[in-house]
Amino acid sequence: MPVPMPMERKQASYSNLDERYGIQGEKYQGQQYSHIYFTRLHHMRNLLHALVPSWKPQLPVTTVLGLEEGKDCIIVGTLYKHMKLKPSILDEYSKERSAIPLVKPHNFMHPDDHLVLEDESGRVTLAGAIPPAAFVTGVVVALHGKETSAGNFLVEDVLEAGLPPQTALSCADEDKYVVFVSGLSVGSGTFNPLQFQLLIDHITGHLGDENEQTIASNIVRVVVAGNSVHIAPRFVNGQTVASKDQSRIAEPIKELDIMLTQLVASLPVDIMPGCQDPANFSLPQQPLHRCLFSGASTYNTFSSCSNPHQFELDSVQFLGTSGQNIDDLYKYSDAKDKLEFMERTLRWRHLAPTAPNSLGCYPYTDKDPFLIESCPHAYFVGNQDKYETRLLEGPEKQKVRLICIPRFSESGIAVMLNLRNLECSTLSFSTSFDA
Amino acid sequence: MSSGGRGGKRRAPPPPAPSGAAAKRAHPNPGTPQPPPPAAAAAPGAEEEDMMDEDVFLDESILAEDEAALLMIQRDEALASRLARWKRPALPADLATGCSRTVAFQQLEIDYVIGESHKELLPNSSGPAAILRIFGVTREGHSICCQVHGFEPYFYIGCPSGMGPDDISRFHQTLEGRMKESNRSSNVPRFVKRVELVQKQTIMHYQTQQSQPFLKIVVALPTMVASCRGILERGITIEGLGSKSFLTYESNILFALRFMIDCNIVGGNWIGVPAGKYRKAARVMSYCQLELDCLYSDLVSHAAEGEYSKMAPFRILSFDIECAGRKGHFPEPTHDPVIQIANLVTHQGEGQPFVRNVMTLKSCSPIVGVDVMSFDTERDILLAWRDLIREVDPDIIIGYNICKFDLPYLIERAEVLKITEFPLLGRIRNGRVRVRDTTFSSRQYGVRESKDVTIEGRVQFDLLQAMQRDYKLSSYSLNSVSAHFLGEQKEDVHHSIISDLQNGNSETRRRLAVYCLKDAYLPQRLLDKLMYIYNYVEMARVTGVPISFLLSRGQSIKVLSQLLRKAKQKNLVIPNIKGQGSGQDTFEGATVLEARAGFYEKPIATLDFASLYPSIMMAYNLCYCTLVPPEDARKLNLPPESLNKTPSGEIFVKPELQKGILPEILEELLAARKRAKADLKEAKDPLERAVLDGRQLALKISANSVYGFTGATVGQLPCLEISSSVTSYGRQMIEHTKKLVEDKFTTVGGYEHNAEVIYGDTDSVMVQFGASTIEDAMKLGREAADYISGTFTKPIKLEFEKVYFPYLLISKKRYAGLYWTNPEKFDKMDAKGIETVRRDNCLLVKNLVTECLHKILVDRDIPGAVQYVKNTISDLLMNRVDLSLLVITKGLTKTGEDYAVKAAHVELAERMRKRDPATAPTVGDRVPYVIIKAAKGAKAYEKSEDPIYVLDNNIPIDPQYYLENQISKPLLRIFEPILKNASKELLHGSHTRSVSISTPSNSGIMKFAKKQLTCLGCKAVISGASQTLCSHCKGREAELYCKTVANVSDLEVLFGRLWTQCQECQGSLHQDVLCTSRDCPIFYRRRKAQKDMAEARLQLDRWDF
Repeated sequence: MPVPMPMERKQASYSNLDERYGIQGEKYQGQQYSHIYFTRLHHMRNLLHALVPSWKPQLPVTTVLGLEEGKDCIIVGTLYKHMKLKPSILDEYSKERSAIPLVKPHNFMHPDDHLVLEDESGRVTLAGAIPPAAFVTGVVVALHGKETSAGNFLVEDVLEAGLPPQTALSCADEDKYVVFVSGLSVGSGTFNPLQFQLLIDHITGHLGDENEQTIASNIVRVVVAGNSVHIAPRFVNGQTVASKDQSRIAEPIKELDIMLTQLVASLPVDIMPGCQDPANFSLPQQPLHRCLFSGASTYNTFSSCSNPHQFELDSVQFLGTSGQNIDDLYKYSDAKDKLEFMERTLRWRHLAPTAPNSLGCYPYTDKDPFLIESCPHAYFVGNQDKYETRLLEGPEKQKVRLICIPRFSESGIAVMLNLRNLECSTLSFSTSFDA
Repeated sequence: MSSGGRGGKRRAPPPPAPSGAAAKRAHPNPGTPQPPPPAAAAAPGAEEEDMMDEDVFLDESILAEDEAALLMIQRDEALASRLARWKRPALPADLATGCSRTVAFQQLEIDYVIGESHKELLPNSSGPAAILRIFGVTREGHSICCQVHGFEPYFYIGCPSGMGPDDISRFHQTLEGRMKESNRSSNVPRFVKRVELVQKQTIMHYQTQQSQPFLKIVVALPTMVASCRGILERGITIEGLGSKSFLTYESNILFALRFMIDCNIVGGNWIGVPAGKYRKAARVMSYCQLELDCLYSDLVSHAAEGEYSKMAPFRILSFDIECAGRKGHFPEPTHDPVIQIANLVTHQGEGQPFVRNVMTLKSCSPIVGVDVMSFDTERDILLAWRDLIREVDPDIIIGYNICKFDLPYLIERAEVLKITEFPLLGRIRNGRVRVRDTTFSSRQYGVRESKDVTIEGRVQFDLLQAMQRDYKLSSYSLNSVSAHFLGEQKEDVHHSIISDLQNGNSETRRRLAVYCLKDAYLPQRLLDKLMYIYNYVEMARVTGVPISFLLSRGQSIKVLSQLLRKAKQKNLVIPNIKGQGSGQDTFEGATVLEARAGFYEKPIATLDFASLYPSIMMAYNLCYCTLVPPEDARKLNLPPESLNKTPSGEIFVKPELQKGILPEILEELLAARKRAKADLKEAKDPLERAVLDGRQLALKISANSVYGFTGATVGQLPCLEISSSVTSYGRQMIEHTKKLVEDKFTTVGGYEHNAEVIYGDTDSVMVQFGASTIEDAMKLGREAADYISGTFTKPIKLEFEKVYFPYLLISKKRYAGLYWTNPEKFDKMDAKGIETVRRDNCLLVKNLVTECLHKILVDRDIPGAVQYVKNTISDLLMNRVDLSLLVITKGLTKTGEDYAVKAAHVELAERMRKRDPATAPTVGDRVPYVIIKAAKGAKAYEKSEDPIYVLDNNIPIDPQYYLENQISKPLLRIFEPILKNASKELLHGSHTRSVSISTPSNSGIMKFAKKQLTCLGCKAVISGASQTLCSHCKGREAELYCKTVANVSDLEVLFGRLWTQCQECQGSLHQDVLCTSRDCPIFYRRRKAQKDMAEARLQLDRWDF
């Protein structure tokens, strides 16, 4: 029996670009959310103004205040969507409790919803060729239309900023893979330790035949995109915890740490926080603290990243989140699939337009870190219901691989992306016999 | 603009909620020896009203036409053309020049003025006379002033027997002489114009003969009615008859109302002036587009039917002003300038205003959809506003607290600035606006001090007054009113910021203008939402009084107006017997059956008397004119079968002998209500529906106020015989119902259970039939109602309306239950008398009570409710309750020295003034406070503190105070019928053992304390500054970090939701939130979230070792 040749794992050059999402230097000093909108509008308006001459050169650009009834023009501003069903914190104080509990819809859309465009000078209600279902609060667009006698703005055409410019991909000749996994939910009822162990064994090359091991050796990095652990809410709601339960809080984290340690021993791993992880809530979520991973953090292959997470691997640009930005769009707007939401965020050049309106976000005063300045080659979101992917091509030959990563604890699916050609495939693990 | 609590313009405090609830009837305890009369027990109509005419003489020094024009020309021409865009549509040519077209208009306001008799219309008269002015709007939106001539003031006295025509003329001369003596300053040629002998009958008491001679005394001017009445009441010597004092009849009726009654005009109806019957005014006195002169006998009053039930397109101006106050002072017109005035003008019936503008002092950046007019001086603003009023010519002026604040402020400010031409806001050319202090006192509404600003020809409608009259709310600030009715919070800008914004640049002033506009828009939206125009016009039509009376006067004028109209038809006259108001004449009030307190888990059927008191008056023919006083009863020798003796011992004749006019009025009101309700079912058009719904509501209220009118001892025509009879019948009926139910619905009578009356109140009886399903209870309820109704005189009727199940009866007038009208689904949770809205309770109490009732009644989960109470109490003791839930608010009505007893909020206001006079509350503000932990033995009033100060300094609150003084009573009330040992179980259980108190950061001792870092796990002091955990806790890092970060995460969620909500209310994403509305439930939370967030981040940062 021939002794198999020792296989060497491939390497890829990695640079972490998360700096823009750090909030170490920032402080809560009474600042409000108006600054972030202001910065966003300022930045986007410059972009849109530059595009207007090639879009509708004959039309004048004005402000909401400068509108004249019946006169065709272009205005640029931030959209605001009036939503009847949007939950409000004031509802907690409503006078009467309704006798029938409200049915919680997955989505807060209502036929009466309407859009408003706002700039520094004022607001105007929009009508016409701009479907409220496709837009959300916080998006900056340019609109062509005219003011009606009722004081509304009748939209004829909408200009979005479009996909940002992209750096060219250098041609690679060998297969290198990145594995994405999200929603491990260690500690939850749906988590299956065996399934995750299979994934680890596969990636580390302890499973399968030589062929499979060869593929495994081409995996250069693993990205864990959020919701890795599940901590029972009763332990962390501020109430006193009985001493016998104290240690149970950290149990899932310890379990995760043991598993991650196996991974980081053989290849680099990026771990991003998600909405259920022990991290802050507002975007950008800061990296999970190293003290949580006493084992894995001793390896230099372990990197705890922010959410959103941005990095470069062998000149391929990656951008991704643990899913909150897309989930929020799903609550407040409509699209045929999650990939379309992703595509929209790229065209709006904004990763999370609903922040801060309906998505928690740090009150920045001088920047909006979620603006997308350059187009990534791969754009992923974690914790989705199912695996979906598409290659998006932009007008300037931009190519973006869009990936929805399903929750692993429910689907048993991890996603593998080939750096050479941006092809995508799944790794599926099942521990039941009939599958 | 809300009142109090804020404002660069702030208002005098809204008076406390009417103390006697707007209860319909009297409810003294059964068997109480001396129950209060209905007047004291909040009967409507029981108010003192000064009904005095005030003659206004036409100012002969009318500004010359060109002089008035000059006023305009001096002013900016650009402004003039700007304002001119909003003029009314031009008159059609034939109206503008000729008199050949019949003019019809809806009148809104009627007043009178003293001027020369019209030479053409009244060729035989001379000298000064009262000219009535009717202001109105045509269907096309033209404004009209119709001057009515020839109507003379008069009243009646009984004619002394044996007076012949000669005696009358002698009497006339004597009276004329006496009048001359007492009105020396007057230069009227003749005071008493005529004395006529007429055949009338008094309304008081049943009389056998049809009529008696009366003298109708016609005087020259309306004010002379009062002086002539005085002479006659005091006594006058008539030749041949000796000295005699007279009882006068109908001598206390306002002249305008007298005119309306005699011409059959009701408030807000349409009036026609036939072609050829009017003249165009020779000298134009008003700014109305059309000014006519006509005789009162030529007016055609249209009943509100068909075309004439519609509304004319009135112009409604809603406005709001902002003043730049000095720090720490209530804005005073003597010091503080008016800096902005926002105006919105809407056509009645249209959804959107057609004029939106704001006038600002100094430049202001443009605002979308709004005309921004900037001026350099205050004088220019005020004059521009005056010009706006004149050009737009509004029929109705609305706003929030305009009568007490905005209008007087503008006028007094103009006086201070010596702008004499400012107060020409009325429709009469030289008519200056007059400001008077008035006191309006009413049993129902309490005493109100207000300013009476007379703007001739324009109706003022102050939404604050309307709210205070019509709704019982915990707060009347514009913020809480709009939160209540429109479901949105209003942004509130603190007055210290208002001056800063004004002193900033044009952008900051724009910010202020946007805010001011919003405050001007909210009253209009409230007006629309609450259908005020429809409801008030209908009320005016039903009761026959001018619209302006509805807000400025009490209930009794409405009943009196109907009574006078009816009496006139019947040839009856009403004596002027003012009630003495001694309160001595008392009678027993309504019955309340003893409440059998408990928690009923079987359906309780409720049997209600429909319009009980009106029905009793109709059924037993109770009226002034059917009452037979005991002395008459013997004299008149009436057959006993045509008399009714009421349970209180009064005698009234039956309708066969004499039909009462009160029953007749009531019958008409109720029949009209039935018609209106039937029409409402048919009606499709929303505007028509609004009119009809307003009408049926007005009719119902009117019917119910008749009883109160008769019982108002200080009212216009009290008759306690009637009111005590009504309540005595009412008591009898409740007892009768109880007896019948308990006699008939028994197991002996073939029913499954014995019925039991568990509670009865004024007009309803709660019965437990014993049936266990709602359906059965409803069936039995209906059967009982039908059976018992059969035993009553018509139209008294017992109706089955609803079932309570389950039902928590605490004591009389305090109960809660689920309300069912159909067996499938309950309609609502109904709670009476359980303090969920009282404003001296903090929100915690309200939430706790509401939640407990919900758990008990809807979820039927008593253990759950108990657990909830325990958790809340534990949270309170552990300092985990949101501070905004603990805030108590009280209005500061006067300064500290004026309060006899030291009160918590007053003391706090004093203390805050010492800290920072700029932000301290001043008189008129509402003072929010929390009760803090203080030294042992500290007085309650020393323990109050500003919530913001508490937040900033970590001051511990006093949970015991909240436990004992706020939540314990309401809780025990609810739980005592349900739980044994409720007090012990709820208030003293193990959940009350752990207490946590925060350490104040400002107390004296803390200045000497040295801060030391403690271990985040066990609070042990650690030495190294860079460490987070002590050596003992080292192994628990992951766990402890999770907790810290979870805290941060929770706060971030809250922070985001709170601040984005405020952006939403403010209606802008790109501007900072300025709102400091302390009425807003999230104000303190927002502030706290900001502070907590900063602290929590610091904690988290300690982990970055």
